Amino acid sequence: MNCKFVPSVCSYCGTGCGVLFEVIDGKINSTLPLKSHPVNQGKLCIKGWNLHEYINSFMRLKAPLVKEEGRFQKATWDEAINHAARNFNRIKEEHGPDSIGVLVSAKVTNEENYLAQKLARAALKTNNVDHCARL
Amino acid sequence: MDITRQVEQLLKQGRVDIFLGYRELYGHLIPHGYTMDNLEDLENLKVSQHRYSLEKVATHLAEKKPDLKIGIIARDCNQRALNILYTWNQLNPDNIETLNVNCCPSKTRKHGDCSYLEPKETGWFKKENGIDYNAEPDAFMEEFDNSERFSHWMYEFSKCIKCYGCRNVCPVCFCPECSLENPDLIEPGALPPEVPIFHLVRATHMAGRCVDCGLCEDACPAEIPLRFLYRQMNQIVGDVFGYNPGEGIEKSPFTIIGDKVTLEPKPMDA
Repeated sequence: MNCKFVPSVCSYCGTGCGVLFEVIDGKINSTLPLKSHPVNQGKLCIKGWNLHEYINSFMRLKAPLVKEEGRFQKATWDEAINHAARNFNRIKEEHGPDSIGVLVSAKVTNEENYLAQKLARAALKTNNVDHCARL
Repeated sequence: MDITRQVEQLLKQGRVDIFLGYRELYGHLIPHGYTMDNLEDLENLKVSQHRYSLEKVATHLAEKKPDLKIGIIARDCNQRALNILYTWNQLNPDNIETLNVNCCPSKTRKHGDCSYLEPKETGWFKKENGIDYNAEPDAFMEEFDNSERFSHWMYEFSKCIKCYGCRNVCPVCFCPECSLENPDLIEPGALPPEVPIFHLVRATHMAGRCVDCGLCEDACPAEIPLRFLYRQMNQIVGDVFGYNPGEGIEKSPFTIIGDKVTLEPKPMDA
């Protein structure tokens, strides 16, 4: 039986609280606040305290799903990305670029948010970019 | 003998299967389970100033494997919590081996290994409207009358964001069903929680259990002076029963349920 603690950052919101996962025999058993983390200083909100629940949830998606004939089918990342790109192009051609909007997230880094707006403005040619913190 | 060698010996002699201590990882001192499979990690074994409830981790391990022999780095507060867990059959003392480390500095101990050596500072607004972390209970009683004390407590309670951190971090909170999640007592989904009942339910359940380790107060994002509250609660337990939780492993006066149930079952809303 082994037991280790893995420091991480809470993935629920943009605050970025430090958490510690209690891992027993390779499975995350509970979440604790990381006491020495400068952001949360050993405190967490109720979402952070329950981080391990969604990681272990049986509903968690571990592979991309593509809807074919009304049902979701497991796909590889390449298939899923190609499918999305093909359909974005189709929608753009049929209805114009402003028929697409991009919502980015507080949970990802600044750099990733920058790339997402770049994708929206340069590739999709739309200014419809918004952020979950404004919703 | 330094603590690293002591842990190594405990593991090699097979006196413990796993030893719960601390290690330094990415600049953070965090708990770690040392076993025979990761002896090389022992180099990073540290006595942490930060405190985590290692005894709570031990209960999680014992839940999965009841006869696992567990070693724990223990300060006085860990030891007190362990005594409570023994008393309530959450851990078997035969399976637990403790290595005691310094708590507060004194003539016999050159240095202390606790983050609580410096008392917490209280800001002026909190002093004015709420409760000073370091308030003397007697002075607090003298300074304010009944209604003032109530409004000071209500100021503190009303900040609660219902994170359940105090319950989650508590080493002696082990009930599989928690009253704080009972919809008949505490309305689910309501925020802020019903004050003061939410905190008083927890306070009454801390009677005869709380070992005054301070982890709850430390984990509280709203900085509610929980230690003050639970200390006063246990003052009553001490006065009435002469019981000081965590002092020893004698039976708690709150183990009142015998073999025979004398209460008649009644519906809640009758």
